[in-house]
Amino acid sequence: MSETFTSNFHSVEAAPPQRSTNLGRILARVRRQPATLISFGFIVLLAVVAVTAPWLAPLDPTASDFDSVLQPPSAEHLLGTDDLGRDQFSRLLFGTQIVLLVALGAVVVAAVLGVPLGLVFGFYGGWWDRIGMRFIDMAQALPGMLIGLTVITIFGRNIFILMIAIGLIFASAFARVTRATVLGERGKLYVEAAEVAGLRKPQIIFGQVFPNLIGPMITQAAVFLGSAIMIESAMSFLGIGLDSDTPSWGAMLSLAVEKQNVAPYLTWPPGIAIILTVLAFNVFGDGLNDALTGEKRRNAPRIRGGAPRAALSTAASRATQTADAATGATSQALVLEARDVTVALNRPSGEQVNLVSGVSVSVGKGEVVGLLGESGSGKSTFARAVLGMLPAGTWLADGTITLAGEEISHRSAKELRHIRGDRLGAVFQDPMSALSPVHTIGAQLIEPLRIHKGMSRPAARARAVELLERVGVKNAAGRLDDYPHQFSGGMAQRVAIAMALAAEPELLIADEATSALDVTTQSQVLDLILDLRDEFGMGVLMITHSLGVVAETCDRAAVMYRGRVVETAGVEKLFDNPEHPYTAALLAANPVNAVGQDRLATIDPELRAVIDASIDAQAKKEAVR
Amino acid sequence: MTVSMNDRPLLEVRNLAVGYEARGTWPFGTRTVKAVEGVSFDIRPGETLGLVGESGSGKSTTGRAILRLLPVLEGSIRFDGQDLSDWGKQTPLSYRKQVQAVFQDPSASLNPRQLVSHAIEMTLRRHGVTKRSELHERSLAAFEMVGLSGDHLGRFPNELSGGQQQRVAIARALVLEPRLVVCDEAVSALDLSTQSQIINLLSDLQQLTGVSYLFIAHDLGVVRHIAHRVGVMNHGSLVELAETEELFASPKNAYTQRLLDATPAAHPAGREERRAHRLASRTAPAA
Repeated sequence: MSETFTSNFHSVEAAPPQRSTNLGRILARVRRQPATLISFGFIVLLAVVAVTAPWLAPLDPTASDFDSVLQPPSAEHLLGTDDLGRDQFSRLLFGTQIVLLVALGAVVVAAVLGVPLGLVFGFYGGWWDRIGMRFIDMAQALPGMLIGLTVITIFGRNIFILMIAIGLIFASAFARVTRATVLGERGKLYVEAAEVAGLRKPQIIFGQVFPNLIGPMITQAAVFLGSAIMIESAMSFLGIGLDSDTPSWGAMLSLAVEKQNVAPYLTWPPGIAIILTVLAFNVFGDGLNDALTGEKRRNAPRIRGGAPRAALSTAASRATQTADAATGATSQALVLEARDVTVALNRPSGEQVNLVSGVSVSVGKGEVVGLLGESGSGKSTFARAVLGMLPAGTWLADGTITLAGEEISHRSAKELRHIRGDRLGAVFQDPMSALSPVHTIGAQLIEPLRIHKGMSRPAARARAVELLERVGVKNAAGRLDDYPHQFSGGMAQRVAIAMALAAEPELLIADEATSALDVTTQSQVLDLILDLRDEFGMGVLMITHSLGVVAETCDRAAVMYRGRVVETAGVEKLFDNPEHPYTAALLAANPVNAVGQDRLATIDPELRAVIDASIDAQAKKEAVR
Repeated sequence: MTVSMNDRPLLEVRNLAVGYEARGTWPFGTRTVKAVEGVSFDIRPGETLGLVGESGSGKSTTGRAILRLLPVLEGSIRFDGQDLSDWGKQTPLSYRKQVQAVFQDPSASLNPRQLVSHAIEMTLRRHGVTKRSELHERSLAAFEMVGLSGDHLGRFPNELSGGQQQRVAIARALVLEPRLVVCDEAVSALDLSTQSQIINLLSDLQQLTGVSYLFIAHDLGVVRHIAHRVGVMNHGSLVELAETEELFASPKNAYTQRLLDATPAAHPAGREERRAHRLASRTAPAA
């Protein structure tokens, strides 16, 4: 135990190592959402107004003054007066009190009723859940206003009755959210881990699961507050809420509508107050949800202006210089030639990082080239760049990608789609996510054949059967009408390969195509890819984290680390005589190579420092050039 | 790693059957599906028993039955001579203290909303440690044992890398000084370089504490390195159980042979012959 272990590789995507609490992180995210901040500011303002209304309001909101009835706004009455001569401004301020009080009370009632129900249904499941949830369904099917109306009719008008009436409407929604969260958390490994540790059920429920409920609950509450305000206003507007003497926005609006012809100025203040308040709560709830779950809806930053095109020329000139250095297959016809590919990402903070920096990889006709790397090394991002399918927020910042002699890196989406359909085939890790669950595999195979190859329906169907037979699906004609879920993982991956082959691609990109499969299935799928290579002469880019897959299938391989290719070599040389310390370290860490030894070689801090230094030196050299 | 052959087994599994309750055809009826049947093996003190097989072979189900996360349908599991089914639905704390687990996905096995120190301290507290200073001391000791520092104690799981998270999970499993740890795909989700560190850590800890491992994995290379004996599971039964090197050198069972053939080699040499051999065995009417 003498060695100090360190974390795995600091990948490019990894967050900077800063100590911060969860709360701090959430606040930092909120700070980056101006809409959330503004709406929060507005909510705080409302709360302040509600509390200080007695001091802020110039006049008593209920005091009638028959000398100044229906006065338009003036210095004395900022927002005018109503038909009883009551000051509208004061009524609006006091209305804030009522509206917030009712909404808050309603949400508390809803939470007190709903959350325990949801907890019970979620945890105990079985009959509790089946019967309880049916009742919740029924409650939710009833119109909310009807429930409110019924409660008010039975118990009379009163602020507390109104809270309960509105609270009841939301209780079922709280129960649902609680139950869904509990069901989601109950199956998690950490709950099992707590059970293995010997913790009692209540300890697990309240100590482990409950904290995870707080986030969604707060979000729900914020959104419900907005809705509760709307319902309270609507009920007051209809005259079934609080009595007309109580200053409430809904009642004010109701009166304004009545007097619209003589006093149009009455409509605006309560109307705007209701709209802004409901909006503020909804926007705040939404923003809070994003901050809590850590998901930001990234707007895809489009390629800025002509930057990439400008970069193109420099990259092209650089490409000629490095051409012979980077490829070992210049004599062969290249089906893929990627030069100095750099993919950049915009962090939410505005900072730009390169996920892939200056990667050059080429694949010859009939050649299997491996792209080996650990998670976060940038290998899949590179594949997506080749496919023209970079995720939102990332873009090709530099470099050229040539497919069978055609430059594809800066084509339009439409042209790209055509090239992808015609010349590229791709197989990903999870076959089920690559196949549409709602269409038969026949439909999914036949459609592209008709679009890209212009085949007639019968011809396309015959070709689809042929393709499925070729990839080893038994009774292919019969299985065309099956849905993806009717196939096992290995068979589904064969179907995905058949789809990729449909276009007779010149390049097949296999991105961790066998990583999720069992070893026996993996070897079958790898053998299939090799057979197809022999038969059709396509090039294969084999992206994988597995040394074994590279050893068994590849002719050459490029090793990626921290977004860069550290070494490209023929597979025999790579395994026998690795040049880069990182490659050597990876090979040494493979347990298969260490049979009979007590300890496995690891990448200790000193070795990592050496590797990182060599990467940094490479980066510097490139920057100078 | 020294395993005494004369020791009485720590864990004795005999003719074990484990199943799941599945929804029957009638909406409220259930039927039992056996995921494991007729499995027998022993684990000796200080020994690592590897359990390999493909997904759905029942290897994890076996582990979960030993952890009492699933009920035993038939057969018996004896720990230190004590039959687990004698306890009924309850599981005494003493058993929890002695049998611990490390799961596959380290990020999921830690509560995302709690500091990692909480994971250790709550375990200790449940097992009778109440003094604040002792809680801290023992957590710190456990962290240092797995190569983490006190600084890591005050972090949330998502502030740690995958390898560090798995170290926390190991610290949580070992803080009670258990005699058996079920490692269910404990290194499968890790990158190669991290994986080798965790494997070394597990061997080091075994030498230090004499703990036994049930090491469940689908990766034969890892199991070959760490396990003293290996059991191969297929379709819910244990098809072969042998000393590790014996199993890899001369597998007796056809399925074991198939599994070994399918495992990618560590070096490209001879791959054409291997491919030809696989092709031949596949076209042969064996199946």
